[in-house]
Amino acid sequence: MHASDAPPKGFAAAMLAPITLLYLFCLLAPISYFLAVSFLRYSPTELYTSTPTLENYARLLSDAYNVGVIAETFRVAAVVTAVTLVLGYALAYFLSRAAPAWRGLFIFLVIAPLMTGVIVRTYGWIVLLGTDGLVNRALMALGLVARPLQLLNSEPTVIVALVHLMLPFMVFPVFSALVGQDPHLVPAASTLGARPLRAFLEVTLPISRSGVVMGSALVFTITAGAVVTPALLGGRDVMMMGQMIYQLVLSTFNWPLGAAFAFVLVLCQLVVIALYFRRTRHAG
Amino acid sequence: MPASPHDSDEFVSSGIVVRAPDGGVPASAARRRVREPAVDLSPLGRFAFGLLVAALYAFLLLPLLIVIFTSFSPDERNVYALSQASLRWYREFADSDNFTTAFKFSLWLAAIASVLATGIGFITAYGIVRFMRRRREIGQALAMLPMMVPHILISLSLLLVLTRFPVPELAALVIGHVLICLPFTIAGIVASLEGVDAELEAAAHTLGASRLRVLAEVTLPLVAPGVLSALIFSFIISFGDVDIALFLSGPGMTTLPIEIFSYIQWQSSPVVAAITTVQIVLIVLFGLVVERLVGLRAAMRI
Repeated sequence: MHASDAPPKGFAAAMLAPITLLYLFCLLAPISYFLAVSFLRYSPTELYTSTPTLENYARLLSDAYNVGVIAETFRVAAVVTAVTLVLGYALAYFLSRAAPAWRGLFIFLVIAPLMTGVIVRTYGWIVLLGTDGLVNRALMALGLVARPLQLLNSEPTVIVALVHLMLPFMVFPVFSALVGQDPHLVPAASTLGARPLRAFLEVTLPISRSGVVMGSALVFTITAGAVVTPALLGGRDVMMMGQMIYQLVLSTFNWPLGAAFAFVLVLCQLVVIALYFRRTRHAG
Repeated sequence: MPASPHDSDEFVSSGIVVRAPDGGVPASAARRRVREPAVDLSPLGRFAFGLLVAALYAFLLLPLLIVIFTSFSPDERNVYALSQASLRWYREFADSDNFTTAFKFSLWLAAIASVLATGIGFITAYGIVRFMRRRREIGQALAMLPMMVPHILISLSLLLVLTRFPVPELAALVIGHVLICLPFTIAGIVASLEGVDAELEAAAHTLGASRLRVLAEVTLPLVAPGVLSALIFSFIISFGDVDIALFLSGPGMTTLPIEIFSYIQWQSSPVVAAITTVQIVLIVLFGLVVERLVGLRAAMRI
């Protein structure tokens, strides 16, 4: 008998059973349960009562503060995505043209910060930007400011730190798309008379579109769900949906409203991902 | 001004002409050479681009370097006096119960989660590659599920389950970490398995080895580098995670990132720099091993 031709059903099922059970009972079921709670009435004594209601969503969308949190989340995510795209594209472009002997090192230097985790890097920004931090000391030494600037606890700082966190997620999808490019295309375009800028806009950019779209979707969805970085660097100035959910669930124990926020977050992310898949399919 | 970009155009086209004759070198080398200046910039543009790239690397690495630097500072005020560098904050880290306990807990948690994620990842990858055939792409996409939902959603829903059902808290934390590691271990091991000839397994099976034995004695050794890097990589993910542990940590089971998070919310001390430096060194060492084994980018799936 040829082993690979007729795999016994039992063995194949045994290989795939653990993951199926794990995803069903520890991922899909709990998430469905959690999202379902958003349609139940809040109860201060027992988390929720089993009365179906839309009042959590009504409260979410009628309260100006809540709407502001949603708007702020997507504004920050959009700005971070845009900045990351420009900077990440430049870095990916550099990596795709770097001499092969050095490329490994340069790639490692982009990935190494990613691996150290969110807390380590967020802490790095606290040290850099604190009143006593390197940036303020440098500004004062140069005589540009008389007193240390209040850099922490502001939205721009959150954006800078999030760009730092997200950069690798943009660099590598774009890099993969650029590396797959036929290296003769741009020289061909310039031989045909295209200026560098035009060759870039009309040859390189369209080719890297799948990477751009994927990187942007990745960065946008991860940023929209950020909790720790805005909490540590934004102070009272920034309130994103992740922090809001964190507070609703852990401080006020309002699970239904927290779940409603989470549902809105997930829906928006699904829309972004769906757009991403439609775009890439169009791109072929 | 308009003359200069035009000049560079001339330079580009002449560059092609100059390049063409050395087509005598092996094709791969020639291709590599053409690839470098895909958009030829003027020397000034080239310089500006180089400057931008250098600034980007500084941006990426500075927050980490500053942490390492700060960890050696002699006291809280005089952070940048390098001549008086001290190991004081490392001693303080070693003496602080909270941080050392959290550090050990994180190591244990990461060890358990990475072993489970790699074990389940291995058999899942094997099942996908060998048995799913035409539905393989669906299988691989489904395996990525935990990556497609925000991590805080995973931890929140596990927390909700905890409040309603008698599940041990530690189990929820481990499950959460296994879930976020699985997409990486499965994808990494699938990539390794693609290089294994199914005929080898078939031969061993024909010679009388049971399927389980084939898996353990033929397949596993062949994909050992992929499995090992999946193990290390999921260790790194678990060790650095904050989104899962943020909701599922509890008394007596606080991970290091969460301990640091709650500490730096209210106070600041170079002791945190010392701890994170230890973490950076640990993770960079692990990363270098993965880089040697399969390449980091392949392991990260990005």
